[in-house]
Amino acid sequence: MPPPRSFHRLFVANRGEVAVRVARACDELGITPVFAVSEADRDAPWVHGRESICLGPARAAASYLDATRVVQAARQTHCTALHPGWGFLSENPLLAALCEHHGVTFIGPPAHVMHQMGKKIPAKRAMAKAGLAVIPGSEGVLRDADDAIATAERVGVPVLLKANSGGGGRGMRIARSLDEVASAYADAQAEARAAFGDERVYMERLLEGGRHVEIQIIADRWGNVCHLGERDCTVQRNHQKLIEESPSPVLDPREREQTLARAVNAARSIGYVGAGTMEFLLDTSAKPAVLRFMEMNTRLQVEHCVSEQRSGIDLVHEQIRVAAGHRLSFTQDQVELRGHAIECRINAEDPEDGFRPTPGTITRWEVPSGPGIRVDTHVAQGYVVPPHYDSLLCKVITMAEHRDAAADLMIDALGRLQCEGVSTTASMHRQILASAAFRSNHYDTRTIPGWGGGKGSG
Amino acid sequence: MVHVPVAPIGRPRKSFLDDATFTANQDAVAGREATLAQRRAEVAAGWGEQYVKRVHDKGKRTARERLEALADPGTRTFEVGTFVNYGLEFGDGKQKCPGAGVVTAFAQIHGRWCMVIANDNTVASGSWWPKTPEKIERAQMMALRLRLPTVYLVDCSGLFLPEQSRSFPGATGAGHIFKMNSLLSDAGVPQLAGVFGDCIAGGGYMPLISDRVYMTEQAYMVIAGAALIKGAKSQKITSLDIGGPEVHVHTSRCADVRVPDDDTLVAALRADVARLPGSAVAYYRGDAGPVDPAHGTAELAGILPVDHRESYDATEVLARLVDQSLLWEVMPSVGEEMMCGIGRIGGLWCGFVINRQGLVGDPAEPGARRPAAILYRAGIAKISAFSRACNDDGIPLVWLQDISGFDIGVEAERQGLLSYGSNLIYTNSTNAVPMFTVLLRKASGAGYYAMAGMPYDPVVQLSTTLSRLSVMEGRTLAIATYNTKLDDDFQITATDPAERQKIEAGMRAVESRIEGDMDPWVAARQMDTDEIVELGELRDYLTMLVEASYQSTGYRRIKNSRIWSMHDLAIVSEGLR
Repeated sequence: MPPPRSFHRLFVANRGEVAVRVARACDELGITPVFAVSEADRDAPWVHGRESICLGPARAAASYLDATRVVQAARQTHCTALHPGWGFLSENPLLAALCEHHGVTFIGPPAHVMHQMGKKIPAKRAMAKAGLAVIPGSEGVLRDADDAIATAERVGVPVLLKANSGGGGRGMRIARSLDEVASAYADAQAEARAAFGDERVYMERLLEGGRHVEIQIIADRWGNVCHLGERDCTVQRNHQKLIEESPSPVLDPREREQTLARAVNAARSIGYVGAGTMEFLLDTSAKPAVLRFMEMNTRLQVEHCVSEQRSGIDLVHEQIRVAAGHRLSFTQDQVELRGHAIECRINAEDPEDGFRPTPGTITRWEVPSGPGIRVDTHVAQGYVVPPHYDSLLCKVITMAEHRDAAADLMIDALGRLQCEGVSTTASMHRQILASAAFRSNHYDTRTIPGWGGGKGSG
Repeated sequence: MVHVPVAPIGRPRKSFLDDATFTANQDAVAGREATLAQRRAEVAAGWGEQYVKRVHDKGKRTARERLEALADPGTRTFEVGTFVNYGLEFGDGKQKCPGAGVVTAFAQIHGRWCMVIANDNTVASGSWWPKTPEKIERAQMMALRLRLPTVYLVDCSGLFLPEQSRSFPGATGAGHIFKMNSLLSDAGVPQLAGVFGDCIAGGGYMPLISDRVYMTEQAYMVIAGAALIKGAKSQKITSLDIGGPEVHVHTSRCADVRVPDDDTLVAALRADVARLPGSAVAYYRGDAGPVDPAHGTAELAGILPVDHRESYDATEVLARLVDQSLLWEVMPSVGEEMMCGIGRIGGLWCGFVINRQGLVGDPAEPGARRPAAILYRAGIAKISAFSRACNDDGIPLVWLQDISGFDIGVEAERQGLLSYGSNLIYTNSTNAVPMFTVLLRKASGAGYYAMAGMPYDPVVQLSTTLSRLSVMEGRTLAIATYNTKLDDDFQITATDPAERQKIEAGMRAVESRIEGDMDPWVAARQMDTDEIVELGELRDYLTMLVEASYQSTGYRRIKNSRIWSMHDLAIVSEGLR
């Protein structure tokens, strides 16, 4: 079947493995990708023999993060669509709005939907309305200290106070007992007023630990919404995901089925378009355990490959299709999720030395291959890992009938990954996957199973 | 793809304003806005708990409770005219009438903005005081201009008789309310009336022209109440017997439907509004939707200094009002003292005109600077052309005033500022597009007129707590008043000490009187402005007004942005080929 008619030229507003991933889809769909690069990435392997345009200096703030430059560059190179990838400006409604106003189709949801999901209170309200369980807390912003105390009594301590206009942890306070609520409220308010000129704060019960489960959604402009199952991303270090897998090994089938259906409805109810992920915390303090909505990522994610491997659906293809106004190429009934998939993110970091980044030149690079193994990477032998950006080298995804088999295959694959010149986190991943804690699911988001931490991690 | 070349405006607050100044400004505004909150609460309380209880004891709801029940749950209602008659006393008993005894508010019912006019039954049983008719008529005019369904919650014991000469006979006397009822009906604006209690004389006429009239079992409508009948005809009979639902729903057919109680009536009104065509707001938004400004609106209160002599960056104000802080500034290179632009608010296109503050370039002397917040020739021509283009294109227009007035002096007269100003005034006077005016701070002299102040019929005019409305500043006005007794340096010419003292005292008196009159509370009390709002809620008010401007179809011009004449203006003014 020939690819559907759509954009002739597509602007790739990203770098590294993201750019490679998007370009692969463009090639398959007969679209010419045009790469945005910073000065540091001018000669990067993924732009060899391709069209590219330099956005500006290596510093991301002056290149990959400057929405005005990005849109100008897309216009200048006569692109009619723009893929933001993940990271950088991918969740920035300003980029989406500038694209639309300047005649470039943004591959993602409309700016106002992105904005709504980016704001905690409206997002939570919309999801609760659609029937998803949310983290117990205040209904919107708190009126005063008395309201804060009453809310804390209702939802139970410990509680988290967060600034309505917040971000970056400012205006955030934890109260572990009811006595602490009034002062935590006052502190959060004062900090929020100073930082954002908006002293309004809201409250949520602080859920510690638990498992991170997320649902992959894809929607077209015509109200068709599908899920590609869930992913479990509980293996994390400081909120950075290390290993993602699907299905979640601990999720009750009824809770899974119910939440998947509600997530689809929720996405439809907010007018969602494109690929997105709803992130949940599996609250094990409730019996049976409940998936509570945390936030929605209005973009494709790093770990989308896990869902692609299980479903056989190419999410970037679908994103481009729906952006051009086509309907999804499949229906929910046609989605068949098979086996178990695991993804490991391999970074240029030294896990033995507190995950210190190790930029430098890669002198030898060989990636594993074989049945059930997928590697997404932008790296080639001789590649210089620049110090300016995140240090991901590749993602290895394995797929097998069962979890243990997928983990064994991953251990084998990572053993065959040859990388010289920089340290990588591959050995840590092998250790985790081989551990009894990982195999028997004895961990939550606070602990890395089978990993005591290298010498620098304390 | 529709092409409105918007670009991000504004900067993070910390990059242009230090914490100390920001906090000091915030504190100064907070003091004034605390007064606003306290006075709003005072008006909302009507005549107090005792009267609320009296209403409840009758099994009825207060006007504000009815309004709340009428509006969609979780939505905000936007009152206008809250402070009409604020602080004034009437009659021999020196009685106050909070809100002039009537609540007028924009409220959303089944997603449609409506104008709700509710007699305040906690203030003298909802009777009509001096300015009550004017307040009701003003709300009706807003509804007429925007074609908003109008809902009357009637509970009115008639005129407050001791002051009848101030509310009965004039051009805007109580009877003019019914003329407005007629004009609304004539223009096809849906009107609904719920009669909840006493509706005597005027209160009886107000509901009748509405498309549908409901009565509760406690409601009656009469030309004259029981007391008057007793006096005139010596008949002892209750008002309910004279004009209750038994009479008006069944015999006279002056009302359509009888309902048992307040709550049922409110539910019936909601159901009626739901039968009207839906709002066109989503249609005109297209693929866009409401998005908060990139820079927090809450920061406005720390950006505007209370002292009108201190300056601020007007761009930063707009950046905190428009969606995503995205604006297409039109004609940026002419008349720098004025800033005009188009942005979205609540996902809908809207034009903005704002005065720049501080110093700006002087076209006559390259490199020289002259004070902004003044209307010079180029600025006048620019806002006049912009205003005309907004009208041509059907783009609602918001005027944000912080203006000292027109430029004066020989050069100004030679340039013919009188003519340029009149041209602008003609434009604004004949515009059909909805215009809204905000008095951010100064609103002085003809500047107030030129920028669509109240005498130029903006649909709604809002004032912040910092606003100062007058023909000129107090000191200037004192000098003008005593002009003949002053020398060229504004010094008193008289030598006699007693005479000097008299003049000094006179000038001080004039100055302090003017200072007092510039108070926004005076303007609101006299209906020289429609509402006093917090800086932090300004965007909410404007969003509501712009949504209301796009709600109804077919009565005004709305062009898609491809064919805006604004594009011609931009090309011509920028000399693009």
